[in-house]
Amino acid sequence: MSIKSTKINPDKFHISQWKFYVILLALSTFMILPIIFMFSQALKPMDELFLYPPRFLVHKPTMENFGDLMSQTSTTLVPITRYLFNSVIITGSVVLLTCLVSAMAGFALSKKNFMMKKVIFEANIIAMMFVPAAVMIPRYFIIETLGLTDTFLGHILPLLALPVSVFLVKQFVDQIPDSLLDAASIDGANDFVLFRKIIFPMIMPALATVAILAFQLAWNNIETSVIFMNDENLKTFAFYMNTLTSKLENNVAGQGMAAAAGLIMFIPNLIIFIFMQSKVINTMAHSGLK
Amino acid sequence: MTNQRKNTLTGLLFISPWLIGFLFFMAYPIYSSLKMSFEKVFITPEGIQSEFVKLDNYQYALFKDPYFMDEVFNFTKTVILMVPIVVIFSMIVALLINQPIKMKGMFRAVFFLPVVISSGAVINELFAQGAGTIPMVEQYGIVTMLKDSLGPGLADPIIEVIQKFILILWFSGVQILIFLAGLQKINRSIYEAAAIDGASPWETFWKITLPGLKPFILVNLIYTTVDLFTNSVNDVIKLIKENMFKIETGFGYATALSWIYQGLILLILLVIFFFFRNKEGKKERKLGYRKPRVKRGTVS
Repeated sequence: MSIKSTKINPDKFHISQWKFYVILLALSTFMILPIIFMFSQALKPMDELFLYPPRFLVHKPTMENFGDLMSQTSTTLVPITRYLFNSVIITGSVVLLTCLVSAMAGFALSKKNFMMKKVIFEANIIAMMFVPAAVMIPRYFIIETLGLTDTFLGHILPLLALPVSVFLVKQFVDQIPDSLLDAASIDGANDFVLFRKIIFPMIMPALATVAILAFQLAWNNIETSVIFMNDENLKTFAFYMNTLTSKLENNVAGQGMAAAAGLIMFIPNLIIFIFMQSKVINTMAHSGLK
Repeated sequence: MTNQRKNTLTGLLFISPWLIGFLFFMAYPIYSSLKMSFEKVFITPEGIQSEFVKLDNYQYALFKDPYFMDEVFNFTKTVILMVPIVVIFSMIVALLINQPIKMKGMFRAVFFLPVVISSGAVINELFAQGAGTIPMVEQYGIVTMLKDSLGPGLADPIIEVIQKFILILWFSGVQILIFLAGLQKINRSIYEAAAIDGASPWETFWKITLPGLKPFILVNLIYTTVDLFTNSVNDVIKLIKENMFKIETGFGYATALSWIYQGLILLILLVIFFFFRNKEGKKERKLGYRKPRVKRGTVS
């Protein structure tokens, strides 16, 4: 065992590895269960949804719930594509800007010296644990004074100040040795080159995580649509789905549609995850962060 | 000196976009919510009006509100139990994935999945459908057994933890990732050296892996605590939100509640920091400082 662990990866399956596989496979099942559950719930016909005791997997899968949901959507004034377009623009800009802004902030907080650095980082930690609901009304005043109500910026800007992302990135930048940066700057790299050529590639795993978190925050965000937007044309897809299902929540027929809507909202999360996680993992293997 | 000034300037330049956003959308709102917590806020058709009521909100929350403090204490007990479980679980998973096995990539992806599950919409849905509990626990009388032997005060949070065990595992995505990054940072040659010296895997874990992971354990403890305290399935936050739109209590009272809650989270984090700072300092004095000195001596 101790000798084997010095090798990085075995070429083929070895019999002594079985114990890892057993534990890992058992735990992986737990991890995948909720996703299977989401799918099977959305595909369940009415009688299976209300079965007691509830059944985990669907027996007679049907697309009925999605059909019901579609017939609901055709009754509103604003076309569904408009909501989708809004959501795509907003989510895209939030993800890109959050990554850039928090990478820059993390770099500065970790490797630069300036006054109030400690205070800023501590303020960030405090903000990170602040109950988000409590800043809702003050934020509304700010959005209003800045004249951002009924603009895309009103959706995007409040979500950019994501304290968790700065925290994560800063912790990753901390792990990059100073000597590496010193060596680069002796070779004539200025701070922008340092940032782009060394810091950015090295904190890729953290940034991919930040991107996943930011995506979820923006994609599932309902609050900015409810509070800052009066114009129906500027509201998000999540908001739209929410109005559809909240109307139906208490009636029996709505349960299936709610599950279908939940699945539709969840699938982009899953796609982004599959796309980003390979980035997280690949860069982690080759990052040379040692 | 000029070099240092340049350093300061670029630092400020890099942080300014984030700082401006932070001041507008975090710092100021937090400040004004602090102000509101001392006021009674009315939302009227003409706009929002407020009236200064000194400490009334806090007094009511701490001594009169029938639900709030109970809810906070129960939740805190659960979190204190859950945090170590999440951190230890994610460390074990990270260690397992870091082993020389095949299909590493797939396992890593699967264990990173909780990141998409545990946030907002999905977990709410699962909760609503009752997927987060293990029915077996109740069936086999573990609940009653625990209650008899420990008394309800101690047993309740433990039972809650057992019932939510699957849920706990779903909160460990980012933590596993952080631990994996930490494990890859530990130099492989140290392991080789230890193996040549005849160290068992058990000893290697305690003497090399765990000290190497220490900074990451701290990061994970903080992350997990914050994550659990602020996620959307949290009963206390639900209560705060409810109070926000009640006519008798209103937004001012709700912000007072969130400040009390905030203070509690801060206290817990300070305790975590305190323990870790101390231990880390001692370890460094014992191990870390001696090595570089020897190295420097031999090189020069």
